[in-house]
Amino acid sequence: MSKKQRKNKHKWNNIRFLIQFFAFFLILIAPFLNYYFHINFIQGWYQSISIGRLWFVSPLEGLESILTSKLIYLPLLIGMVFPILIAFFLGRLFCAWICPISFLSELIDKVIIIFSKKRYRKDTITLPRRVFWFSFLGEIILAMILGTPIFVFLSPPGLVGREIMMAVFFHTLVLEGVIIFVVLILHLFTRRFFCRYLCPLGALLGIIGAKRRLIVVRDASLCNKCGMCKKACPLGLNPIKGESLSAYCWNCGECIDACSKEALTFYWKDIKIDYPYNINTHQVQMDKNSTP
Amino acid sequence: MNKENTSQKSNGTKEALTNNKRRKFLSGIFSLGLALSTNGFGKDIRSSSPVKTNILRPPGAVPEEIFLSKCIRCGRCVEVCPYRAIKPLDIHYGVYAGSPIIHVLDIPCYLCMKCVHICPTGTLRPVAMKDVRMGLAVIDKHTCITWRGEALCRTCYNVCPFKEKAIHLDELRPVVDDRYCTGCGICAHGCPITNKQGLKGINIRPIYAFK
Repeated sequence: MSKKQRKNKHKWNNIRFLIQFFAFFLILIAPFLNYYFHINFIQGWYQSISIGRLWFVSPLEGLESILTSKLIYLPLLIGMVFPILIAFFLGRLFCAWICPISFLSELIDKVIIIFSKKRYRKDTITLPRRVFWFSFLGEIILAMILGTPIFVFLSPPGLVGREIMMAVFFHTLVLEGVIIFVVLILHLFTRRFFCRYLCPLGALLGIIGAKRRLIVVRDASLCNKCGMCKKACPLGLNPIKGESLSAYCWNCGECIDACSKEALTFYWKDIKIDYPYNINTHQVQMDKNSTP
Repeated sequence: MNKENTSQKSNGTKEALTNNKRRKFLSGIFSLGLALSTNGFGKDIRSSSPVKTNILRPPGAVPEEIFLSKCIRCGRCVEVCPYRAIKPLDIHYGVYAGSPIIHVLDIPCYLCMKCVHICPTGTLRPVAMKDVRMGLAVIDKHTCITWRGEALCRTCYNVCPFKEKAIHLDELRPVVDDRYCTGCGICAHGCPITNKQGLKGINIRPIYAFK
């Protein structure tokens, strides 16, 4: 293997971790700026974050607020536009690249790698992958029955920001933060157990990004079917079977880095080309797809 | 080749059938949720709500009946409040957890109007300072020492941001005008008298919080 190839080995992983770190740093520093310096330029966390006059609202939070109150508020919709556009074109990119739970999970992974030489852990608890969609549906229905977007309040990506804010503002931690620990402990048994099977926000972004443009494709002529990509995938997907094209994939790029043959790449899908992709079986005819 | 094709076809029709069934099932569940949510289990919001005398929602808040469903608990009003008057409710409040509240006896609202402009869901509507109706100041004439004739205190009159309008003096005794009172709670916070129930000589009643 040449030096250049080796340098590129962890390209996406490193970029992703850097972005995750900055995303975490942003919500870590924002409460301090707000509390001690009264600088309100950056505000909130990944439930609703504002940078200057521009603000973003998490699509799930916005959707639940609209569904439970049955009232539409234009600034809310405008705040939701940008995250929805990202999800529409790039898929569950938020989950893998920005979500603070992702950052904490990868931090745990990095610590574990120091102690054990094994780079990828095996999954001990698995559920049918379909649970993901039912979790989203159940969440929406329960929120509507209770009449409050309460499950949004308990969602881990928002909770991390809430805990940081509570610690800075009121010098206490709130009880519901236990959920973060539960999620991270489940991550020890099965990588990204919560993200994989239970996260309703991830499911919503997955639904929005089902026909996303950015996909991970496999070049069948280079692939020797070693199965490293399947081992590497934090969601337990198998790119050889074309599962990287399904709505579950969150474009983290872990499989691309794991592939020794460089058979996997990020690919900007052209909508003009008709991909023979069956959404029910999550299978794709890879021979026709191998052109990129 | 032919056999494979036919088997695939039959599979396809089966899938289509199950899909149809699933669609019906899901839409059924969805409509059930919709029906239940419109009733909201007929709970009495007045008794269950944490909004009580001197415990109020931030300025510009929508009525308590829809506050809970509109607020996404993003906590930005808590972060922006320069006086730290707004606090999120903790998990003991059940479905109310995470929603913002102001204990005016601890820190009242000084009507800086920062929170109303940052609320992403319109739970706090952007209103002008004089249009805020968090509640209404009500003088307890049995507790207020001026009204009892024991002393000449006019603290509430002095601290009121709408002096002469919201609180004016009638024969040296304070009187609240409900046309101008915003319910900010500065008067209740300033009141030096506390009775046995823990209430002040002037209290903020959240009469605008409920429809």
